[in-house]
Amino acid sequence: MALHTETPSRASGPQPEQAQDRRGALIQTEALASLLAAIVGERGVLARPSELSAYSSDGLPGYRLRPRLAVFPHTTQQLVDVVRLLARKQCPFVARGAGTGLSAGALARGDAVVVGLNRLNRIISIDPLNRLAVVEPGAVNVTLSRAAGAYGLHYAPDPSSQTACTIGGNVAENSGGPHCLKYGVTLNHVVALKVILPSGEITTLGNADGEAEGYDLLGAFVGSEGCFGIALEVTVRLTPNPQGVRTLLADFTSIDAGARATSAIIAAGILPAALEMMDGPTIRAVEASIYAAGYPADASAVLLIELDGMDEGLDADVQRVEAHCLAAGARTVRIAANEEERTRLWQGRKKAFGAMGRIAPDLVVQDAVIPRTRLPDVLREIAAIAELRQIQVCNVFHAGDGNLHPNIGYDSRNPDESRRVGLAMRDIMQACIDAGGTITGEHGVGLDKLEYMPKIFSPESLAAQCALRDAFDPERRANPGKVVPVHSCREWVGA
Amino acid sequence: MGGRVSTVRVQERVREHVARGAPVRIVGRGGWLDGGRPVDDFEPLSLADDRAIVEYVAGDLTLTARAGTTLSDIAAATGAEGQWLALDPFGSRNGTLGATIATGSAGPLAHAFGTPRDTVLGLEVVTGGGEIVRAGGRVVKNVAGFDLTRLFTGAWGTLAVITEATVRLRARPERDETVALLVPADGALGDWLARLRILPFTPLALEMVNSPLSATLGLEPAALLLARLGGNDDAVRAQRQLLGALGDMRDVPASVWSTLATAEPNGASVARVSAPPSRLHAIWPVLSRIDAGSLAHATVGRGVVRSICAPSDDGNGQRWLAAIGTCEGTHIFERLPARAWRTIPCRVDDPISRAVRTAFDPARILNRGILGEVA
Amino acid sequence: MSEPVAVPACAIPGTPLANATAGIMACVHCGFCLQACPTYLALGDENDSPRGRIFLMRSLAEGDLALDDPSVHTHIDRCLGCRACETACPSGVPYGALLEATRATLAQVVKPPLRARLILALFARRGLMRAVVAAARALRATGIPRLLARLPGDLGFAFAMLASSASPLSRARYRSRGTGARGSVSLLRGCVMEGLFAAANRATERTLVANDYTMVPAPNQHCCGALHAHAGDLEGARTLARRNIAAFEAAGAELVVTNAAGCGALLKEYGHLLADDDAWSARAAAFSARARDVSELLAAAGPRVGAPISYRVTYDAPCHLQHAQRVHAEPLVVLDAIPGLERVALVDSDQCCGSAGIYNLLEPALSAAVLAPKIAHIEVTGATLVVTGNPGCLMQIGAALCRAGVPARTVHPVELLDASYAAAARSGR
Ligand SMILES: Cc1cc2nc3c(=O)[nH]c(=O)nc-3n(C[C@H](O)[C@H](O)[C@H](O)COP(=O)(O)OP(=O)(O)OC[C@H]3O[C@@H](n4cnc5c(N)ncnc54)[C@H](O)[C@@H]3O)c2cc1C
Ligand code: SF4
Ligand code: SF4
Repeated sequence: MALHTETPSRASGPQPEQAQDRRGALIQTEALASLLAAIVGERGVLARPSELSAYSSDGLPGYRLRPRLAVFPHTTQQLVDVVRLLARKQCPFVARGAGTGLSAGALARGDAVVVGLNRLNRIISIDPLNRLAVVEPGAVNVTLSRAAGAYGLHYAPDPSSQTACTIGGNVAENSGGPHCLKYGVTLNHVVALKVILPSGEITTLGNADGEAEGYDLLGAFVGSEGCFGIALEVTVRLTPNPQGVRTLLADFTSIDAGARATSAIIAAGILPAALEMMDGPTIRAVEASIYAAGYPADASAVLLIELDGMDEGLDADVQRVEAHCLAAGARTVRIAANEEERTRLWQGRKKAFGAMGRIAPDLVVQDAVIPRTRLPDVLREIAAIAELRQIQVCNVFHAGDGNLHPNIGYDSRNPDESRRVGLAMRDIMQACIDAGGTITGEHGVGLDKLEYMPKIFSPESLAAQCALRDAFDPERRANPGKVVPVHSCREWVGA
Repeated sequence: MGGRVSTVRVQERVREHVARGAPVRIVGRGGWLDGGRPVDDFEPLSLADDRAIVEYVAGDLTLTARAGTTLSDIAAATGAEGQWLALDPFGSRNGTLGATIATGSAGPLAHAFGTPRDTVLGLEVVTGGGEIVRAGGRVVKNVAGFDLTRLFTGAWGTLAVITEATVRLRARPERDETVALLVPADGALGDWLARLRILPFTPLALEMVNSPLSATLGLEPAALLLARLGGNDDAVRAQRQLLGALGDMRDVPASVWSTLATAEPNGASVARVSAPPSRLHAIWPVLSRIDAGSLAHATVGRGVVRSICAPSDDGNGQRWLAAIGTCEGTHIFERLPARAWRTIPCRVDDPISRAVRTAFDPARILNRGILGEVA
Repeated sequence: MSEPVAVPACAIPGTPLANATAGIMACVHCGFCLQACPTYLALGDENDSPRGRIFLMRSLAEGDLALDDPSVHTHIDRCLGCRACETACPSGVPYGALLEATRATLAQVVKPPLRARLILALFARRGLMRAVVAAARALRATGIPRLLARLPGDLGFAFAMLASSASPLSRARYRSRGTGARGSVSLLRGCVMEGLFAAANRATERTLVANDYTMVPAPNQHCCGALHAHAGDLEGARTLARRNIAAFEAAGAELVVTNAAGCGALLKEYGHLLADDDAWSARAAAFSARARDVSELLAAAGPRVGAPISYRVTYDAPCHLQHAQRVHAEPLVVLDAIPGLERVALVDSDQCCGSAGIYNLLEPALSAAVLAPKIAHIEVTGATLVVTGNPGCLMQIGAALCRAGVPARTVHPVELLDASYAAAARSGR
């Protein structure tokens, strides 16, 4: 993997704001460390470069940036005190949950302090009557669903990383997941947030006790990638566990057929809880892993389709889905016989990204979304690009939403291969944009997709986004240099 | 990007107003201009003629239309494909897409499908500074950049003029049937609502109406629960069975929903009181019986009661306001006599909202005063 | 996507870690292992997580960090070696092997603490070890350790461990019979098992015989070397491995069985340990292929059902069985053969108890932090017996239960089965 420190490793395109304005340099690092330690204790601050390395990347380790310091509050009050201290010292900071982000969003350049939220992981309360839960930002996604399970409820957004990622990170990225096809993404499940603004002020967005009124600042904060402040407390909606669930595995001898089946099911107006696709190389990586799910190893693609709801009526939908799959050329359509088999099928899907580590030492992943009728075309195009650039693409993605995840495995020690991968990434992104798509559906822009932002937004539109950010963080100290490439923004009239 | 003639025309108008410092009132089809606080001192900027479906690929279940397109235009186009835009705000179906999004309006279907913030995928707007800005996109999932789509949705036109929107569509359910159940007496209401909330399915809509409103709808004059059931044959049959166990049930024509949407008399005052759904049984008895003639309905799953006070001179407005005041919860006013607004707190005077307003409408020319903001 | 950059050649060629870089590169940084790692859960620092430790290893290999960097030692030392990260990792990162290679590499620069070296030296010397455990056993028999178990601090904990090594079940006396048709087996008696858990060893022999295995003695066996390997003393471990391979070859049984999960994990890895030793690699691989945990053999046999004994029990999976050997179901199959047990599920039963070989002696504070939730979960079950198949876990959990005043004891699953068979013999079935 590439060995960049300090500057993010991007082949070209707009660089994020560099650390040229090292505002935080107003205070010596050692002095800052001891002020922070006074709040969180000696063991809550990391200052040695050797210990900061672990915080120099997230789930996309092709990027490395070593932060200035890392601080780990144990209580909300400590977090508040830390943010206020950083405000007084005008020091930039970057919130970090579990560091599973896939856009290099939680990376902090050398003048910024990482604020680790993983120790703030309490589930504060669950209100089963109104199906609400209040959690600290560092609570791990799946622990909330486990806790809610006692009431027959769960937290619906289920990113594949749900056993590791935090609710705070989910809020920041507006994360999705397989079941978001039917149930909606994080945005649709967060009802209120208590946030601390970079200035140190605490404010509540949204309304947990009724309808929200005024500007939808909650909606603006969800998906703001840590640039608007830090979520201190998250109130989410819980979803009742469905009465019945049917999980289908359809296997195809071509990706094209799988894509056609997907388009047909969606166009027919069936709304599965989830509709996921995996291609042949992905299937084989999963089957070689500890999470082997029993996918047919010789298939070119499988669709993992889940239907849920009331028992009555479910089987009629299952039959329709099955018919669409068979009509598109499925070899077999299998229905999970029990909960154990269902879990296994899902584990394989959810751990697929990780399993690709066995294919090649380095891995990059994209996250474009395209209109669902365009799936067959665009997948064909991606295959052609892979062929042209002589690289291997593994596709595992949220097909029902048209949210592609082409994964490319390679070896960064091979400069020529690295170059070809870079070119292929750009070709693929362009193909998705040309198909009417967007550059990221759930992973966020972070550093990784900055260069593509001007391809889908005009300078005015980018400037408008910056203007929104400035309303929350006029000093731009929260997660500086991410999301919007400021160089391609137009001067904003109101600013 | 943003080069459409009609958009550029809006941009020119806005810029010209900025130059003059002259406020504009953004107007769709003008059906709900008394919604929100009074806007004084304005010249209208009408979008009614900018009425076209720009892109509709049925297989994608998304649709892009100009702001002046009416909900019934969209219903006609999508209905032909067995799809719908699952938004049914109160008022006439001639309301425009732009206004529905700008005001964040939703109706009974919000029970299952949420409000415009859950449905809008992308917007083209002209900001109060006269910039053409695109937010979001045309695909169903999108986290590229900061979410201006959510910001402009429900902002009542105070940040930008919406010129075009892309929305998510749904397939129409195979069956779409409506039944009515008698709402039990106050004492039994809490338990009954609790049982409703834990039904193992989500009806398309679940709306309680008070007895005067039932009468207006041409139903028996009693408090009723209207349940709109959707799904395939098996599902709807089972749903009926489960609901039937909760009380005396009868079929109701589907037209009841459009009648409900336009049930409120002209010039009425309208308020919504919302609270956690588990408290609905405490609010409902108060708001459903303020006056012999006051109308009320409640979206059960969301815990929202909408209370309607017909205009009259006998001081009922005061009684009505007082009754609402006694209800614990969030109070949102849709329409009020001009005088009454002065007592209602403004929800956009916090520092972030003020900064947002300044950033997007620095000259404060768009729908000035509609949210009660102080200039 | 990264610009091509020249990756420096390995900064520490020829070290065990240098040979392990392929395993390091398999890590895709996905973070799935974080919540599986007891030290991360206890400390909340990624440097104390598998992903972070792998990053440190990589930094060592790439020369970003020096072998004597104190933070590297701190975080590698704190690793329990429980390998829970391995069974969470979709990418197949061989964490256990990486850890051993790292410890061996670091040990070349900075010697392990004196405490650790003394303990390892003791285990490597058969005669001395026997004398020490005999003394411990004698001390245990006096009942004094149980009295001193509530003393504060490490000393009290040590007494509690010793006290808790006594079997909670009354001695089973019955003659077990079987056809011997399932094949011949030699038992690795294990230093600690034979010294302090002799009852479990005898129970192992009896239950295997009752399930139609033939027991063959293997007289010249030694300590398995697991503690040495985990501490980075790979040479020490190899020496012991060679001796054991020879001893069990001489015994001539078809299979080698152990009832200590930690020992079993290493027996199964002798092949890997001696892979570069031309003279021994084939013999070691063959040996590993013959090694089994006792629960595997019993489960394969059925096993025969005993007479009812009534206890409320909960099962805790030893890491070296669950994660290292990936033996999950077999111990439960053994318990299934015991009528009358009331089984209660234990939350996070696959999480480490903090014993981890001699870890609890080297990192007592962190070990205690890892142990605390385990004891809390056990208390909730209301079980009177906690069943687990590893001496370290039996003592670690047993000691903590004793000190916390939780009315539960620890027991090896085979001992329970044995008690059930004994009951059957008594009732003449
Ligand atoms: C194997 C794998 C599978 C994945 N699958 C999915 C998937 O299916 N769907 C999906 O959407 N994503 C997926 N992701 C991406 C990732 O898991 C999500 O983006 C997740 O939400 C990140 O959470 P985190 O706690 O790790 O955040 P981090 O990576 O630590 O941080 C992400 C961003 O959030 C900010 N942040 C964190 N906490 C807060 C807070 N409290 N307040 C404000 N900002 C904060 C950070 O500054 C950073 O910008 C996957 C990742 C991996 C490695
Ligand atoms: S689970 Fe495996 S691949 Fe993922 S971070 Fe942990 S060790 Fe690396
Ligand atoms: S072996 Fe155990 S303690 Fe060590 S990194 Fe893996 S999970 Fe953590």
